[in-house]
This record gives sequence, C-alpha cells and structure tokens, in this order.
Amino acid sequence: MLKSLDPRVTRLNLPDGEVPNMEPKQELDQFETYEAFHQKKDGAAFTYVGPVHAPNEDVAFLFAKEQYSRRFACVGLWIARTENIMVTPYVGDTESVYDMIAIEEPAERSAEPEKYEIFHLKKRGKAHTHVGRVSATSYQEALQEAKQQFGEKPPVVNVWVVKSKHILQSAEEDKDMWFTIPEKKYREATAYKVMDKITKYKAENNNATV
Amino acid sequence: MNELALKDLLYKLADDQLILGHRNSEWTGFGPILEEDIAFSSMAQDKLGHSLAFYTLLHELGEAEPDTVAFTRNAEQFHNSQLVELPNGEYDFSLIRHFLYDNAEIIRFEMLSQSGYEPIAKVATKLKGEVKYHVLHANTWIKNLGASTEEAILRLQASLNEALPYALGMFEKSKYEQELIEAGVYAGEEAVKAEWLNRIQTVLAKTELKLPALESIEPVLGGRYGVHTEHLQPLLSEMSEVFDIDPTAEW
Amino acid sequence: MYGGGNVFEATKFDDLQAEDPVKLAEFEARIARGEKIEPNDWMPQLYRKQLIRMIEQHAHSEIIGALPEGTWITRAPGFRRKMAQMAKVQDEVGHAQLLYSAAETLGKSREQMLTDLINGKSKYSNVFNYPALTWADSNVISWLIDAGAIVNQMANARGSYGPYCRALDRICAEEAFHLKYGHDAVVHLATGTPKQREMVQAALNRWWPPIMTFFGPSDKMSTHTETLMRWKVKMASNDECRQQFLDMYVPKIWELGLTVPDPNLKKNAETGQWEFTEPDWDEFKRVINGDGPCNAERLAVRRTAEERGTWVRHALLNPKAKYVKPLA
Repeated sequence: MLKSLDPRVTRLNLPDGEVPNMEPKQELDQFETYEAFHQKKDGAAFTYVGPVHAPNEDVAFLFAKEQYSRRFACVGLWIARTENIMVTPYVGDTESVYDMIAIEEPAERSAEPEKYEIFHLKKRGKAHTHVGRVSATSYQEALQEAKQQFGEKPPVVNVWVVKSKHILQSAEEDKDMWFTIPEKKYREATAYKVMDKITKYKAENNNATV
Repeated sequence: MNELALKDLLYKLADDQLILGHRNSEWTGFGPILEEDIAFSSMAQDKLGHSLAFYTLLHELGEAEPDTVAFTRNAEQFHNSQLVELPNGEYDFSLIRHFLYDNAEIIRFEMLSQSGYEPIAKVATKLKGEVKYHVLHANTWIKNLGASTEEAILRLQASLNEALPYALGMFEKSKYEQELIEAGVYAGEEAVKAEWLNRIQTVLAKTELKLPALESIEPVLGGRYGVHTEHLQPLLSEMSEVFDIDPTAEW
Repeated sequence: MYGGGNVFEATKFDDLQAEDPVKLAEFEARIARGEKIEPNDWMPQLYRKQLIRMIEQHAHSEIIGALPEGTWITRAPGFRRKMAQMAKVQDEVGHAQLLYSAAETLGKSREQMLTDLINGKSKYSNVFNYPALTWADSNVISWLIDAGAIVNQMANARGSYGPYCRALDRICAEEAFHLKYGHDAVVHLATGTPKQREMVQAALNRWWPPIMTFFGPSDKMSTHTETLMRWKVKMASNDECRQQFLDMYVPKIWELGLTVPDPNLKKNAETGQWEFTEPDWDEFKRVINGDGPCNAERLAVRRTAEERGTWVRHALLNPKAKYVKPLA
C-alpha cells in the first residue's frame, strides 16, 4: 500500500507500483452542462458566471451555488441547461447583432405565448447580463420582440434567449443561504495583514539585508 | 441559568461540528466530480466556522480560547457523538452520514434560533442559512442516488444500516436535559429526534431506501460523555500535529 | 495556480497557408483591434490547438496542484489556518473546473482531458511533482508558487480568447487571497520561534530550485512564437515572467531575513536584470517526463478519485442527455 506524506492519501489504501492505463472515460461520464447566472444584490441584473457539469438542474443548482457564489455578495442564482439556450451569432464590439441578422421564420410555434428571458453581451470577453423578459410563441419571435424592447442601444455583441420555464430560479426564501458570505473573511485577501510583524522584525534585526 | 448545563450543550454542538468538519475536509481534492468536491469543501469549512462560533460562546462563558479548546483536549474530553468521528469510508458512507447528521443539525439550529438564551439564539439565527444549504445538498443527493442504479441503492442502504445506530447516538441526553428544556434553551433531544425522524422518512420515502425498524436498533451511546471509538484520538493527534511542534508559537 | 513551463512546440498546424486567407485576415484584424475571440468565431487550427493545450495544462496544474497543499489540510494549526487552507485548496479545484470549462468551449471534452491527464498523455506544472514535506513547505507553496502563478495568469488574462479571460479574471481575484494567505503564514514562521524560522528556511531551500524552473526554460524565438504572440495566445516570455517574479518577491524574502539558496542571485544594476545560477533543466525534463519524487502518487490519487466516484456518476447518467459544449 502507498504510504504518503498526506495522511488522507495513506488512508485511501492505494496500491503501490505501476498500474495499467485507465480506460478512456465514456461520453457524458462528467454529465451534461448547465449555465449559471448570479444576482449580486437586490434589483441588479442576473449575470452569467459560467457552466457546471451536472446530471440534472437540481444538482446543477447545488454545484453552481458553491462554484460561483461562495465569494462576494449574492442574493440569487439561476440555472439553465446549455442545450435550452438559443444563441445568436457574435458581432463586433461596436455593432448590434439585431442590426446584422435577419431573424428567421420559426419552424414551430407554441399555441399560447410563453415567457422568454433575454440576455445581452455588451463586449466580447465580458459576461452576458439579463436585460428582460418577453412574451412570444417561438424563439425567433422572442428575439424579434427583444429587438423592439431592448435593441435600440448598440453595442449588442450577442444575445441568448431562454424560455423562462427552462430556468431554475432560487426562491426569495432561499436568500439566507448567502447571508454569511461577506463574513467569511478567512477566504479574502483583505483579512491578511502582516506589515506590523514585518516592520517589528526589521526594527529588531536591522542587519536584515534588502 | 445553570452555566454548566449551557456549557455542556455548547460543547456537544461545537465538538460535533469540529469533528465532522474535519472528516468532510478529507474529501477536498478526492470527490466524485469536481463540482461536488467544491461543494463538500464549502460545507466542511462552514462546519468548522460553526464550531468556532460555539467555542467562542464558550470562551465568553470563561472557557479557554477556541484554538486551545479545539486542539489540545484528549478524546475523553470530547462531547461529540460517535457518528461524526467514524472514518469517511467511501462516498456512500460520507453522504449518508451527512444526510443523517445535517437533518438533525438544522432542527437544532431552528430550535436554538428561538432559544431563551440570547447569545445562542443570535448565532443559530445567523448560521441557519448555511445549514439549510447543507440539508438541501444532502437531501438532493439522497433523492437522486437513492432512486437510481442497483449499485447505488445497495451501497447507500448498507451505509444507512451501518450509520443508523451511531446516528441515534446523536440524541443521547445530557445530564442537564431537563434544566435546558425548562429554561427554554431548546426543546430537548426527544423533540429533536422525533422531528428528525419525520424529516428523514419524508426524504427516504422518495427513494428505494428503507429505514430499518428503529426499535430493533441499539443506539450507540457514550459520545456525549467522552466515550469514543478508537478513531477519535488518532484524528485529534493528527489535527494538532503542527500545533504541537511548539504550542506557544503563533502559527 | 500554474506555471508556465508550457512549451510552445511547432505543430503540423503551423502551416497557415492552409487557412482561408480572408477569414484569417478578419480574425487577425479583430485581435489587433483589441477585441476578444469567442467560441463560435472562426479561428485558425493552430490557435485552437495551442489554446486547448495551454488551457488544459493549466487546468491539470490546478487539480494536481491541490494535492501538495492538501497534504496539510487535516493538520493545519488552529482554526484560522485550517479554514484558509481548506478554502485555498478548494479554490484550486474550482480553478480546474473553470479552466476545463474554458477548454471545452474549444471542442475538447472534459472526459478526454481527464483521461489524458491520468494516462500521462498531457502535462501539468512540474513543481507539483515535489513533496510538501512540512507545514512550512505548504506555506512557501501558497506564497511563492501562487505568486509565480499570478505573474503568469495576469499576463494571460490580457490574451485574446474570451472564455479563458473570463476564467482568469475570477481566478486572479481568488489568487490574491492565496498570495496574502501564504505570505501571512510565511511571515508568522519567519518572525516566530527559532524552530519556526528553521522550518521555513528549510522549506525555502527545498522549493527554490523548482520555483526557478516554474516559468519554463528560455523561449526559443521562432516564427511560430511570433505568430502566437501576435494572436495574443502567448503574452509574455518565460524569461520576462521569471524576471518580474524575482523583482517582486526576492526583496520580500530578504526583508524577512531569509536566505535564498543561490549564491549567484543578484540584480545587475546596469542591466536591471536578475542574475542567477542556471536551473537544472535536465532534472526539469526528467521530472516532467515522469521521474519526479511524486509523479506516480499524484496521478494515482487523481485516478483513484475518478475511479471511486464512478458509481456515483454512473448512477445519475441520464440516458436522454446529449452533450452540448458550454456556451462561454
């Protein structure tokens, strides 16, 4: 058995010595992906923070909460399956995608209008933010609607359109899960101040070279 | 109010969290998927934070500094239930323990946030939201894995059977039980246990897992009175290994 | 955290003649304007391959980099250090998650990257093949290896690929905590008891040689490197990063009365450049190719974590799920 400097590793009881190559991981061994959006404070727009791999949206929520909101203030979290997000082409940083594309006719429409959430990217390399919600019978109509309501001011580099029902939203009463984040100082740079110790050391050992 | 009774309660709360926080921290870097690794580590950090908060209350009641209390006592001075000191095993055992433990913990926090002893009430109210996430995490995993493949169900059932006698030991009454109830500090272990049973059964009912008949189980007691398994002392020695190089030094 | 040491070898995709000249010109113009490239944009094969390789190696370095400091998680002295140590190692795992995701947007799946890591097909930063013998070693890593990583990552964060920049912005913010935490811990040891000073000096002696190799050997300038610099894939030379690191941290080591174990280390007042004993690049090559003190253990641990988690992942596989690469 492998004896490690790390007692945790020693307790894993690993075989010591050569092992054959691992079988390549199967497709989806790491699950599908979900995209996460967080809200920094009440009233602020939800902003894209990144993806997680998860087997379903409930687990994706558990994962995204710690991966993307364990630091800095947060009051809400949205999760959407990557597959359910419709993405427009990307245009340049000074352009508006609404002016550059012809919105296609939808292949199918829902019988009743549904709610769609609209996200804009204002600059390449930055993050998509939520601009609002529209009512439509297809993604294309939703995009058309978004152009009317939110498309006036360029730049709009890229748009994401998601059905509201495809977004798992944290509830109002879940906010207390984030209450103590600002108090977790031990994981912030500002908690570590050692100038006093250094100054004192230097004063006592003035032969210290610099 | 009887200070000894309060201290006894605070020690068991703090020691449970300190030891489980340590056990859970062992998973950092070894989890079944990256995202879960991160989530498990956050909960371990929270648990340590909670124990620190309760040791701080103890310090205010005249006990030694939190670091001294946490890192210099021997096993027989610890009031944690034996459940939390057991080795991690594989992920099934760690998950079942997390499920059984945190469903009881949230009830304690809910009760304590209503406590007649204000310092405890304040701490419990503040930290309750963190425990809420821990419970959501545990219940979501148990619901998902407990209704999945045969292997997962078998593993979890075996771990549940193994952990349950120890879990019942969490509700071992202290000798001050009646005083704490009468003083309105919290509703007592019987009440915590009844509500706990209710909650874990609700979750287990959504899975293929079966809760063994409780009357057939002998709870493993003693933890609250300093009686521990052979696993605790090595864990404590490991925790204080660096500290012990020079206990007077500032690390 | 991450070291350079990423070697930008020429590949068969070097041949830009095969690329569509109009698209290539648009791509280059976008980068020249200072705009970022996003996943669905057209990009040359060379750009894609080099970024995958670089981001993937960076991700592997984070997940393996969690192990040397993880060695001390259960033994960290006192609440403050224990919680910080856990948070720090957790961040490394979190960084791996962010970086694997960024690499995925370029078309390589996380499954493939993990398989390649465990089977030794792709590399990670060489320093993590050395052991953290004592608590002080862990502190020296937190401070100086992370300091090196920040130099590297700050440069890369100005690069041209959007998803990598987004990941690096988050990573750099977290690394600031690592650096301060590591410095704080080292200062406590260096200004503490004689035993503590002895521990930290010994740890510095052990870690200095790996630290000097952290940024990799001097770059060989070629048309290939020039192309990658023009495309803002490679943002600074290995030597520039090493010099910047020495400039920022050697004075901070000296002010604590610690000795850097290199008698030749000094700043040349005329050139403004640091002079030092050339690191042992033969050892570097030997270790990176598998023959270091901890290579086998690092991969065995990673592999075991994956294998013992298999039942969990298989249990939750959704037969209807379809893989779609992350959006951004």
